[in-house]
Amino acid sequence: MIVGGKLFAYGTALYVGLAIVYWFMSGDVVGTTALALTGGLAFLISFYVLFTAKRVGPLPEDNELALISDIDPDYGFFSPYSWWPFAIGLAVAIFVLGFVFARWMMVFGLFAIMMAIYGLIFEYYRGEFVK
Amino acid sequence: MAILDKPVQAPQSTLRPPAKKGNFVVKTITSTDHKVIGNLYMVTSFAFFAIAGLMALIMRAELTRPGLQFVSNEQYNQLFTMHGTLMLFLFATSLFAGFANAIMPLQIGSPDVSFPRLNMVSYWLYLFGGIIVMLGFLTPGGAAGFGWFAYAPLSNVINSPNVGSDLWILGLTMSGMASILGAVNFITTIFTMRAPGMTMFRMPIFTWNVLLTSVLVLMAFPVLAAAMLMLESDRKFGSVVFDASNGGAILWQHLFWFFGHPEVYILALPFFGIATEILPVFSRKPIFGYKGLVFATIAIAGLSVAVWAHHMYVTGAVNLPFFAFTTMLIAVPTGVKFFNWIGTMWGGSVSFETPMLWTIGFLTTFLFGGLTGIILAAPPLDFHVSDSYFVVAHFHYVVFGTVVFAMFAGFYFWWPKFTGKMLDERLGKLHFWLVFFGFHITFLVQHWLGVEGMPRRYADYLASDGFTTLNMVSTVGSIVLGASTFVFLWNIYKTHKYAPMVNCDDPWGWGASLEWATSCPPPRHNFIEIPRIRSERPAFDLHHPEVAAMEHGDRSQAFETAAGGAQGKGH
Repeated sequence: MIVGGKLFAYGTALYVGLAIVYWFMSGDVVGTTALALTGGLAFLISFYVLFTAKRVGPLPEDNELALISDIDPDYGFFSPYSWWPFAIGLAVAIFVLGFVFARWMMVFGLFAIMMAIYGLIFEYYRGEFVK
Repeated sequence: MAILDKPVQAPQSTLRPPAKKGNFVVKTITSTDHKVIGNLYMVTSFAFFAIAGLMALIMRAELTRPGLQFVSNEQYNQLFTMHGTLMLFLFATSLFAGFANAIMPLQIGSPDVSFPRLNMVSYWLYLFGGIIVMLGFLTPGGAAGFGWFAYAPLSNVINSPNVGSDLWILGLTMSGMASILGAVNFITTIFTMRAPGMTMFRMPIFTWNVLLTSVLVLMAFPVLAAAMLMLESDRKFGSVVFDASNGGAILWQHLFWFFGHPEVYILALPFFGIATEILPVFSRKPIFGYKGLVFATIAIAGLSVAVWAHHMYVTGAVNLPFFAFTTMLIAVPTGVKFFNWIGTMWGGSVSFETPMLWTIGFLTTFLFGGLTGIILAAPPLDFHVSDSYFVVAHFHYVVFGTVVFAMFAGFYFWWPKFTGKMLDERLGKLHFWLVFFGFHITFLVQHWLGVEGMPRRYADYLASDGFTTLNMVSTVGSIVLGASTFVFLWNIYKTHKYAPMVNCDDPWGWGASLEWATSCPPPRHNFIEIPRIRSERPAFDLHHPEVAAMEHGDRSQAFETAAGGAQGKGH
């Protein structure tokens, strides 16, 4: 993860540097803002990734001599199938079509989006999945 | 990080709906399997490719001779707008998502992507967004007709009052959101779900390119989404962000190309990655200069954010030295890549199976596009050919060269991983030569059309302009190009119907990365077992242990004895 974090850190330096050079060469506000904000985005990601890398410590995937068995056998939970992604897509489509053709449809679209996101997030915390 | 916080495990019996025959559709639309989602992406984007190709054929038919024969000016505007939109947003960008989904988790030895359900959310946003963009054709005013880059005064509500334009803007915002979510997913997967031993500098180049493409998506698409939503707010709510009195025309161009140029590399990088995967396999050599390729890709990704206004030279409102310099600079890492590709083939035992043929087609075609790119990077030359057919020829060489040639290379190469069957080699070769000649006949002559002064986006020209002959040549080429698709479709059908199942992990024999160390197609969570990873070619080391021992056996043996197996120094 440290390599990944550094990748974004170098990106931050590059974009901030480019923003400064670009500002003095062109005086163009739009491009300078965009470059500077790109640097800010890269900084956010690099900070988070490096911070997390420090928190979780060295991982087997960053160890050149790791064995496949070094990884936690309880690897994680993968949803086997889910209806909710389809529901979210459909809800967003209703919202967008509502915006273009009939504003009242946006209300239903928004409600559908909220319900679909709720459904997706809590899919494995409801019903038979409750501890 | 998906593995740190996990909800309660479900009891086994409730995990799957009861298996019934004929529930294929339900299984597909509720799938969270990255391979199924990858296939969905590829099928859908190929459908958009075919539709956009048909639009191109109609335009070519119209341009064959002077005079308007088939479409009106208005319809022609809609055709080239939607051709560009479909090809760039709904075909090439999502084809990247398709290949990345289908192959990247296999290459890093992971059971799935980090957020499998979010992955499917991306797909549905992309599909519904794409359908909404296409819905414009069914509305009375027709689809959007302001060109795929929607320049500001033309795209406002006075000049483009049709509802198709609103659908275009919001549909693309949706599919842009899908790209952003997909990019987050890929970056997280690559950072946190590699198999033990798969360090960053052992990842296959394709995976590296997926990572850097995703970084570019994160940089570029939010800008597009913001610009699109502001444009829609101008159109619907009467705000004046892109109003000409506020310098809105240039503002739009800056914002659009700040997205638009990284977008070109979003299209190119993953397909460079596919070519880089194929070359060593059919040259029987490891990649020449692995780290050089990685750093060249990083350099391209970094620089690509600083070249956007070379699309705006002729506005007279941008700093020419800065953009000419950065644009020419970006040719350097691209040249490094070419050097490494040729170095990979150099002295190798090269054989010309279909994937290799397509890859070499990519190398030649993209080289032409790159060279005209350097011409266009020089402002004095660009002023003369800007918005002419020279530019059309240039970007078709770049984009078709990378996306389409490398896409077919990837299809022929990984078809056994997608379906468990090998595509027919003879039909594949016929397909390649038809596409190769069809493409070059269509677009090579357009360089000269542009230099002679034929502007792009015109539905018609005069007989006295002298463009007729070259246009006829171009149209003939486009028919060959269009017809080649039938060969591919027939190949798919024939393979599906008659080809035997592949029953080994690596039908090509010299596969390097981990996807060749699992069955064709891989099982639900990809691997029954993963080989030990000690180089950037784990599957090759597994299948050719004698070569692996020769190359790095002693060294790694010494390492492992000294380190006691797993206690090596982490990065």
